[in-house]
Amino acid sequence: MSQDNIVQVEDLVKVYPGDINALSGINFAVGRSEFFGFLGPNGAGKSTTIKILSTLLKKTSGSVRVAGLDIEHSSMDVRRVIGFATQEVGLDDLSSGMDFLVMQGLLYKLGRREAQIRAKELLELVGLTEVANRKVGTYSGGMRRRIDLAGALVHRPEILFLDEPTTGLDPQSRLAIWEHLRELHSQGTTILLSTQMMEEADRLCQRLAIIDHGQIVAEGSPANLKNQIGDDVVRIFIGTGTPGEPGSQEVYTKAAALLAKQAFVSRASVDEGGLMVNVRDGEASAPVLLKLLIENGIGVTKLAVSSPTLDDVFLTYTGRAIRSEHGIGDEFAQSLRPWIGLRGRQ
Amino acid sequence: MKIPSILSETWHVYRRNLKTWLAVPANVFSPLFVTGLLFVIFGSNFENTISLGGFGTEDYKAFLVAWIIVQVVVFSGADSGFALLTDIMSGYFDKLLLAPINRFSILFGSLMVSGTRALLQALLVVLLALTMGVDFQGGMLGILAILLLAIVFGLVWSCLGIMIALKTRNAQVTQTSWVLFFPFIFITTAFMPEDQLSGWFKVAVKINPVTYVMEAMRVIVVEGWDWPTILTGVWVALLMMTVLLAATTWMYRRQTA
Repeated sequence: MSQDNIVQVEDLVKVYPGDINALSGINFAVGRSEFFGFLGPNGAGKSTTIKILSTLLKKTSGSVRVAGLDIEHSSMDVRRVIGFATQEVGLDDLSSGMDFLVMQGLLYKLGRREAQIRAKELLELVGLTEVANRKVGTYSGGMRRRIDLAGALVHRPEILFLDEPTTGLDPQSRLAIWEHLRELHSQGTTILLSTQMMEEADRLCQRLAIIDHGQIVAEGSPANLKNQIGDDVVRIFIGTGTPGEPGSQEVYTKAAALLAKQAFVSRASVDEGGLMVNVRDGEASAPVLLKLLIENGIGVTKLAVSSPTLDDVFLTYTGRAIRSEHGIGDEFAQSLRPWIGLRGRQ
Repeated sequence: MKIPSILSETWHVYRRNLKTWLAVPANVFSPLFVTGLLFVIFGSNFENTISLGGFGTEDYKAFLVAWIIVQVVVFSGADSGFALLTDIMSGYFDKLLLAPINRFSILFGSLMVSGTRALLQALLVVLLALTMGVDFQGGMLGILAILLLAIVFGLVWSCLGIMIALKTRNAQVTQTSWVLFFPFIFITTAFMPEDQLSGWFKVAVKINPVTYVMEAMRVIVVEGWDWPTILTGVWVALLMMTVLLAATTWMYRRQTA
């Protein structure tokens, strides 16, 4: 185990009163300046894990080191270097945005002057300078998240924990928060984020741990996780019409045989949905396939590329889908799912 | 000399909690309204009761002042619990726990606000009583003594309110917890001196610690420096405060582990 890891968790167990096993011995590590994610459905144990790491919750057993410190023996020192934006924001509604941030500064041992300067900086950063003197209770949902995030950054933490930071936000606010997080990450902050949104994990995280029922079921970069479970699929409709009609079956068969011979194609078959080609990289392969077919006198009317998603990864490892917030997507792409070879490449 | 950080931390929490309380003026001035109302209702209606004797004074308002202060201070105890609960429910309490501060700063900061509140509200009652012609036999020093006693006594009920909030974590329960405090205020020599009471009520009154604290305040108003009565009240208040502070600190430590 590398000593350079800024978060090191071994055999973490959490049992809530009433014998509720929230975490059954999880192990993971986060490197310095990494953008790490926990992906999983409600009740998986994501919040529990983050709350323990941030010292808000006591573990039942196991070892947790944050920034080289044991969270139980040195919890005060840990709190000095971490920031945490909780799932339900923790705001002082009767306070103005400015006062809230200044108070955060004072709590984190900044002098009053310094706290005021820092507060102004943060308000600028999250775009709330104009409403700084309004009571936080009057802010919209997106604004509340932003000021909450700002509150967690007052002391320039080395590690930022975020528990479902964009749940319930409109798409614009969500993108704004993502942008802030990317910015922080590029400045060297280690970020540990928990989410049940596939898209959030995919877009932001360098590495992910997929968690379900208190256990980590898979770990790796989003790309690796997806690659490991299956191929991309390129679905092609050929110009003469759908299979089944006289004359076109031949063309489809011919096309399938042609493509199957290609080294980069692992499988090519025909069904009611047209011609289906399994390849490693769908987006890169599609133009090549297109060119091949056209060169051989086969016209193409429609083409679509589909890749495994993190939901598919979750499905593979747990037998269920994450109830994520992503739009269900068009049915065409959905129909490709069973063919992605979820049981692994042939 | 390095100032222990818990002091500055407590101070910051105190300032913020005080601001939160002051943000709702009704909170601050409600005792004025209560006092005025009670003086009017009881004062004029019971003018003749005084003639029964044994009250130690001709002015029923003077007799009542101590009870009004006690009542105001006791009920504001439920407010302390509710203020804490509001922070817990809003999630702000988590922000405080996440900060690198001694977690007892949060508790002590809250208690300091309770003390401030008790002081301010007792002062308002005293001021209104003075303007309505009540003569404080104990003078300025007597008033000061009453205020100090109000602070100590206020802490007792704030602790209770805080413990209820910590234990139940429930807004409805905490808000209506003042109902539990109700008997303590009424089973006292609120309206009648001890000599005029009888039966089980008299026994209950003598058991109720609130009676002694109230009597201490009352005697300062109507008589002056009757040390035995005053000291009894002070000891009772200090004892209750010590016990409750210890209990609250213990429960707080467990709840925020």
